[in-house]
Amino acid sequence: MSVDWFSQLQKARKKCIVQNNLKRIHFELDDNREMVEEYDLNTNVVTRRAWRINRQLKGENSWEIEIGDPEPSYDSDNKYIIRENSNQPFITRRNTRINLEWRIRNLPYPIEVYSVLVDKELSALIVQTTNKKYYKKIIVPDLQRLCIELEQENVSFSHRFNTLIITYKKPRRLIDFEKALLEEIKKIKPEDSEEILKNCKIS
Amino acid sequence: MAVAAAAKIAEVRETTRVERIGAHSHIRGLGLDDSLEARHVSQGMVGQVSARRAVGIVLQMVRDGRIAGRAVLLAGQPGTGKTAIATALAAALGYDTPFTSMAGSEIYSLEMSKTEALTQAIRKSIGVRIKEESEIIEGEVVEVQIERPATGVGTKVGKLILKTTDMETVYDLGGKMIDSILKEKVQSGDVITIDKATGKITRLGRSFARARDYDATGQQTRFVQCPEGELQKRREVVHTVTLHEIDVINSRTHGFLALFSGDTGEIKPEVREQINGKVAEWREEGKAEIIPGVLFIDEVHMLDIECFSFLNRALENEMAPIVIMATNRGITKIRGTNYKSPHGIPLDLLDRTIIVPTTPYDEKELKEILSIRCEEEDCQMSDNALTVLTRISKETSLRYGMQLIMTSSLIARKRKAHEVDVEDIKRAYQLFFDEGRSVQFLKEYQQEFMFNEMEGEDKMDVN
Repeated sequence: MSVDWFSQLQKARKKCIVQNNLKRIHFELDDNREMVEEYDLNTNVVTRRAWRINRQLKGENSWEIEIGDPEPSYDSDNKYIIRENSNQPFITRRNTRINLEWRIRNLPYPIEVYSVLVDKELSALIVQTTNKKYYKKIIVPDLQRLCIELEQENVSFSHRFNTLIITYKKPRRLIDFEKALLEEIKKIKPEDSEEILKNCKIS
Repeated sequence: MAVAAAAKIAEVRETTRVERIGAHSHIRGLGLDDSLEARHVSQGMVGQVSARRAVGIVLQMVRDGRIAGRAVLLAGQPGTGKTAIATALAAALGYDTPFTSMAGSEIYSLEMSKTEALTQAIRKSIGVRIKEESEIIEGEVVEVQIERPATGVGTKVGKLILKTTDMETVYDLGGKMIDSILKEKVQSGDVITIDKATGKITRLGRSFARARDYDATGQQTRFVQCPEGELQKRREVVHTVTLHEIDVINSRTHGFLALFSGDTGEIKPEVREQINGKVAEWREEGKAEIIPGVLFIDEVHMLDIECFSFLNRALENEMAPIVIMATNRGITKIRGTNYKSPHGIPLDLLDRTIIVPTTPYDEKELKEILSIRCEEEDCQMSDNALTVLTRISKETSLRYGMQLIMTSSLIARKRKAHEVDVEDIKRAYQLFFDEGRSVQFLKEYQQEFMFNEMEGEDKMDVN
């Protein structure tokens, strides 16, 4: 998949709608994978990115959120088998124009406890605590797709309101790529969202 | 790695198995050597050399998995080891190859048609090995908290704290998970993996850190290192499901919950067609592998003419398993008709089968089987007693002889003997009638039983 991500996206079948200052683009890649990106039209930054996961055995397909908040799930109280307790740490991702950002909420420990290191072998960021309470391997798909190596000097982190915020400065190549992609996206003519909603079958 | 994991699971399963001794529980395999030649006494099998060799060749055919829809008929008198051979085949195939065992009369049900029952049995015998990435949680149990509401009714609330060497997390447990944690007796210090989607728990062992908790531990206790890194991992697991299971999961009306309740009802042909297509697609993409298994139909003469013609057709499908049938009938009526046919099976189906005959055991073999059974039932028997028992089995039946093992051993225990002696066998022989003596008894005292006016004309019709 690392071959040439940009040309893969260029070749993908794209559909696009604009709704409330948000532009959603649906990519259908050659290998049948599906991706949706959501751009804020004011800042031109990706606010959400999600991948469709096809389960083999069971019919239900779901979305895996790469960037942005996870889909809220309703009525999950009765159905779950096992899940993390609601006051356990959880991680979300967001992008800004110059940074990739991760927020890990529900981490009450002081700033001295944490370390965020680049593991080049795994090509991932490793979040560790000295009190052995939290450990997380963060994979950075944006960089992986472009075959850019992680660099320790781009990493910084801060801690506020029980939240650990990790920022990774976007490398030059990623910024260039995103610019080029944005130009590509501007070419797609948005479909009328009202029209789509009318044709949408309500199951 | 997958093989090692499978072995691990098998080992854990072994220790928790409830041991009960069934009629064929002494059988561990077909008792063949590498060139598929039958050893005279091996893996619990005795004699029947040519039949076992024949089934060994069938086994090879199943393992190769290239030939679909063949039928094998085991034909022989009662008590000549037909079911034993089928059980042995199942044991030899290993647990990854589907083996469905059913009795001919099982297909008659009010809930589904005969052909539906047969189709389900056939589809239960075809396995699909699928690679799927699944999310698992692997860690050492720090604490399990399960609380029942004080009123005694309502849902239980459960929490599970797991850790690795690097982190610790609190999990909320759903109702199903609480039950399986209680059932598996998970306690702090255990190292477990949980499949996040299905909630299946696998116990890997106890943590080394807890090795000194108790002075005495069971023999089977295995100590393992506490896992490292993240609790939640993605792992590619290979699992084998049968076509029937996929059918049930995908049949909208029931959903996968039906798998647990057992009530699957009838499945629409469209669903099956769709699944066949899907499986073929996976196979082409190299995602799945088809493992044709074995369908064993005992007492096959209990099927009727419709089922036989259905089987004829079903065997021609390229997804069909190897069908092994067993019967103890000679030339008799085909159920549902007035025609007579060998083994009660229509000639066109017989033509498609290869027939493996079993023959009655001779005295030496009987003795061998009885001594194996003695061992299986944990019963010491003197040589003389065994000879007497062999003689009894020869004159009555092997099954009756086997019944006497446990009864006479209980009698021997009553008189505090370590060994079953001729006396005990005699006592048991007097206490319990075999079929022959029972008939004799009935003939003698016919007059004193109820409804004795019926004079022998109405013979029992089992067809």
